[in-house]
Amino acid sequence: MSGPVIYWRDRILAFTPGESVAHALTRAGIAAFGPGPVGVPRAVFCGIGQCQMCLVQIDGRTVEACLTLCRDGLRVGPEQEINHD
Amino acid sequence: MTKAQVLVVGAGLAGVGAAVELARAGQPVLVADRAPRAGGAIHRQPLPGRAAISSHAARWDRLIAEAQALPIDWAFETKFAGLDHTGTALLSGATNRLMRPAALVLALGAREAVRPRTGWTLPNVTTAGALQIELKTQGLAPQGRVLLAGNGPLLIAVAAQMTRLGNPPVAIVESAAPFAHPLHSLALPLSYLREAAGYMATLIRARVPILTRAEVVAIRAEGTALSVRVETPKGPRVFTVDRVGLHDGIRKNDGGVTACAAVPVLALGDCAEVLGARAALASGRAGGIALARALTNGTPRETVPSTTLVRERAAQQRLARIYAHDAMARLADLPGGTVICRCEGGTLDDLRALGPTPRVRELRLLGRFGMGPCQGRSCGEWVARASADDPGLPPPDTPLGRARWPLAPIAIADLIAATSDTGAAPLPSEGT
Repeated sequence: MSGPVIYWRDRILAFTPGESVAHALTRAGIAAFGPGPVGVPRAVFCGIGQCQMCLVQIDGRTVEACLTLCRDGLRVGPEQEINHD
Repeated sequence: MTKAQVLVVGAGLAGVGAAVELARAGQPVLVADRAPRAGGAIHRQPLPGRAAISSHAARWDRLIAEAQALPIDWAFETKFAGLDHTGTALLSGATNRLMRPAALVLALGAREAVRPRTGWTLPNVTTAGALQIELKTQGLAPQGRVLLAGNGPLLIAVAAQMTRLGNPPVAIVESAAPFAHPLHSLALPLSYLREAAGYMATLIRARVPILTRAEVVAIRAEGTALSVRVETPKGPRVFTVDRVGLHDGIRKNDGGVTACAAVPVLALGDCAEVLGARAALASGRAGGIALARALTNGTPRETVPSTTLVRERAAQQRLARIYAHDAMARLADLPGGTVICRCEGGTLDDLRALGPTPRVRELRLLGRFGMGPCQGRSCGEWVARASADDPGLPPPDTPLGRARWPLAPIAIADLIAATSDTGAAPLPSEGT
């Protein structure tokens, strides 16, 4: 794949410069960003950084996917890793 | 020492309008916004090379050209985390900075209200505004089968914008009966009528069904799709869609707006009163002029009453009557397990367990309502309405108490890394 990409778990996603992580994930058909701490799934809701529902992990930090811009090579994961038993 | 900057939070119509007037009057200005570009919600700019969707583009182009010709500093991708009692503001993100501004202008705009419904926390269920942001930045309609539901003119606007971009929504589900009041509607300002007529012509041509006095009562995940149960005056209907956009009106985004004895704080535009784009620009400019005069002369701030605000207030009140409905009462009929607080997972049953008229302390400490990272911005209204005798009455301004800083979660690393230009020795210890 030429052009800049971000990584979501084992997937490689192309993005347009200036695009938010939330939009790059949404365009790739990824709507569920993992489980939240209390059973409400992580996903885009308000889209403006108010509701704190779209939290993901980037570089060891918990950030809002809707406010964070894609940068080449960014590794994005769920806020909490899922336990696959 | 150089003159302290005025900190303007929010780079939409109100914020940029205020910044322009402050800079023109010789005040140093810093405008901070979480977005990567100026524009706010109304004039959110597309990705480079994509088509612009927002209407009234000329208004924004004129304003931003004015701003670019003036010495204004900008801090994008930057959160305003709050203002403490000493008048020190914290910016966090691309710009990490502790500063002591000459004044703080809050131009945070509006936020959407979304009434809880069964299944409203599922992925692919967002606010209608989130769909509109996607549409405006991508220059493309959100893909898949989309249902728009709730209350207010934004639903029609988003539906028409989606239709023009080639993906009309499956339907619009509207709580009110806005077309039942043609005489009320005709008394709206001509600009409102023209915009509405344009949207309606698009929707009628594309045969987008608009169900009025109708309610989304439950959303369920079915494989990768969503099954949406709608109650209409003619009986129940079920829609199978990929995405749902919910919207139950606009509220001022005033969470955390605090008065401070150490520095003047001024709220402008929709975060002071939701009156829409024209009023936001007028409010921003008038506020900027008044603040600059007060700072220059060291006199109290005097804001000149604006005829634009009076006119827009009357129009908004008329719109509210056209879109009035009694669906708030449905809050009481929701299943007890419906999530009210999305942050902490608090349900209607959790709220009822606190008794008939819980106090703020009980709501927070026992119910955990307002204790999550959104600080009750999403649930406050519903907690107040659901515990009120009449859920239809407007809720109090801060039903879950005042927001605390940081207004949004920030990283400790950013706080430590923040450059301090407060011009002060280490902050005085509290209580001395």
